[in-house]
Amino acid sequence: MSLTAWLALLVFATAYVVIVSEKFNRTLVALLGAAAMVAIGSVRGHEIFFSEETGIDWNVIFLLFGMMVIVGVLRQTGVFEFLAIWAAQRARGRPFRMMVLLVLITAVASALLDNVTTVLLIAPVTLLLCDRLALDPVPFLLAEVMSSNIGGTATLIGDPPNIIIGSRAGLGFNDFLVHLAPIVVVLLAVFVGLCWLLWGRRLRYNAEHAEAVMRLEARETIHDRKLLVRVGIVLVVVLLGFVTHSITHLEPSLVALLGAGAAILVSGLPHHTYLEDVEWETLLFFAGLFIMVGSLVHQGVIGELAETLTDSIGDNYAPAALGLLGGSAVLSGIVDNIPYVATMAPLVHELVGPAAGLPPQQQSLWWSLALGADLGGNATAIGASANVVVTGIAKRNGHPISFWHFTKYGLVVTAVTIVLCVPYVALRYFVWA
Amino acid sequence: MDAWHPGRMRAAQLAEQVPMVRRDTTGAEAARVIAEYRLSGLVVAGEDGVPIAVVPGSQILSVVLPQYVRDEPNLAHAYDEAGADELCGALNRATLGELLEAKRLTGTKPPSVLPEDTLIEIASAMDTARTPVILVVDREGSFHGVITLSRVLAAIATAAGQDSPLVRERLARDVLDKGGSS
Repeated sequence: MSLTAWLALLVFATAYVVIVSEKFNRTLVALLGAAAMVAIGSVRGHEIFFSEETGIDWNVIFLLFGMMVIVGVLRQTGVFEFLAIWAAQRARGRPFRMMVLLVLITAVASALLDNVTTVLLIAPVTLLLCDRLALDPVPFLLAEVMSSNIGGTATLIGDPPNIIIGSRAGLGFNDFLVHLAPIVVVLLAVFVGLCWLLWGRRLRYNAEHAEAVMRLEARETIHDRKLLVRVGIVLVVVLLGFVTHSITHLEPSLVALLGAGAAILVSGLPHHTYLEDVEWETLLFFAGLFIMVGSLVHQGVIGELAETLTDSIGDNYAPAALGLLGGSAVLSGIVDNIPYVATMAPLVHELVGPAAGLPPQQQSLWWSLALGADLGGNATAIGASANVVVTGIAKRNGHPISFWHFTKYGLVVTAVTIVLCVPYVALRYFVWA
Repeated sequence: MDAWHPGRMRAAQLAEQVPMVRRDTTGAEAARVIAEYRLSGLVVAGEDGVPIAVVPGSQILSVVLPQYVRDEPNLAHAYDEAGADELCGALNRATLGELLEAKRLTGTKPPSVLPEDTLIEIASAMDTARTPVILVVDREGSFHGVITLSRVLAAIATAAGQDSPLVRERLARDVLDKGGSS
């Protein structure tokens, strides 16, 4: 490797360690890392802005941006508050039933939107419901964030790592639905059982408190029904746009951007209302990461690593896939799964190439990476962005969740879900392939 | 305009006596004091009666509302009358001292002006500190009273030619003079 390649590796490793330490703002570190890559001559402007292989992945950035705007408009409708209160009233204020319904709503919403947004919307109303029921909200918040990470695994847009994988591997919305949704349904069913064991059996019903929940006026939370109908139609059209990619050949990012434009037009909302929900910091974090990882690709570091791995893997894709599944789960618990996948996706790309046309054995590497990274995000409080968001909301509302409290439950859920994925990957991509 | 020049009034002339609350005052009592005297902010006094914090009156609203409703204002629509009563009743269970410590109220250290400071100096000090109430303290540290936003605005309005009997009365009489009946 050249001196520049070694320097690029040093910059990358330093930035990574600083990001993991969480001592500094991660966006700032990623951007400084990117600036350092430019300063050492590892990457140039043209490669940053115009190269699909080594530059900023605009598909990811604009898909995220478009979905953030759509959610920003959808948020104004109050539909999430309505759904959560409706669920609690359907459960007649019985805590475990309410938990199950909230878990399912969160999982489905996470698959259709993204998990950070979903927990941002569902956590406040959960706190209100628990306040009414005089229940500790922490078990509910933990169950919701974990179900959002599980539910988000099912689709291309459900979890940011999937968006990165989809873009790198050339995988569409339907590919994720076909390959990941079946196992996610099984995992959710098992997770509901885990919710009972971990929290549900200790929750107590109180008729008087349940009455306070029944008195909540769910319908009042939707104060602009026309807006809900209009944005609902836009969301359905956007989802249809994702599903019909093979016919329309419209990139998911383009579908999301067009959907965002349509949502803005039909809502007539002032720009600050929907732009408020765009996480500019996250988008910049992605840009910084892409530049750093792109530099490693450009300098051949990723290629050399892939070559070494290819030599040791040979044709033994089964142990490689299962190793990637387990390893990703462990590493995603330690590092936020976004930088992890941003680094690993180019490596898997070097190993097996784009997913289209690959035999199932080789394609399994992409799916193992997605399953391991998404589900591994549940392991610790910093494993996924949604976890950080929920622990922040809980703390602000006077219910702090410590790192170890989260990890105590997160490890159990991650272990069970990853163990269940092992036979799925083995059977689907090797035994039955 | 007659010889009366509000624009030339000094801090000592604009200072007035306002009701002060203490750290052990409950949130509900604080709300009552604000309502009774139509205050824009609360002056919290220490054990020795010296002001230690100024809390804008609107912050009491943030204490009534749970943080999750402030995060997601749509949730406010879900409360019925009984739920609203419960939220308001919670103000009785916390003192200002507890609310300040829990950072649910962000009382600022009261800024002060000198008795001889001009209207513009007072306006500048209030604007910089973003506070509706400012103290008047001389160089020896003696406390002369407070200047409220409404009194400063009354002086500004009069100086700008918007004189009226009510504005003059506001400049001439302390909040405390009017009592709860105003």
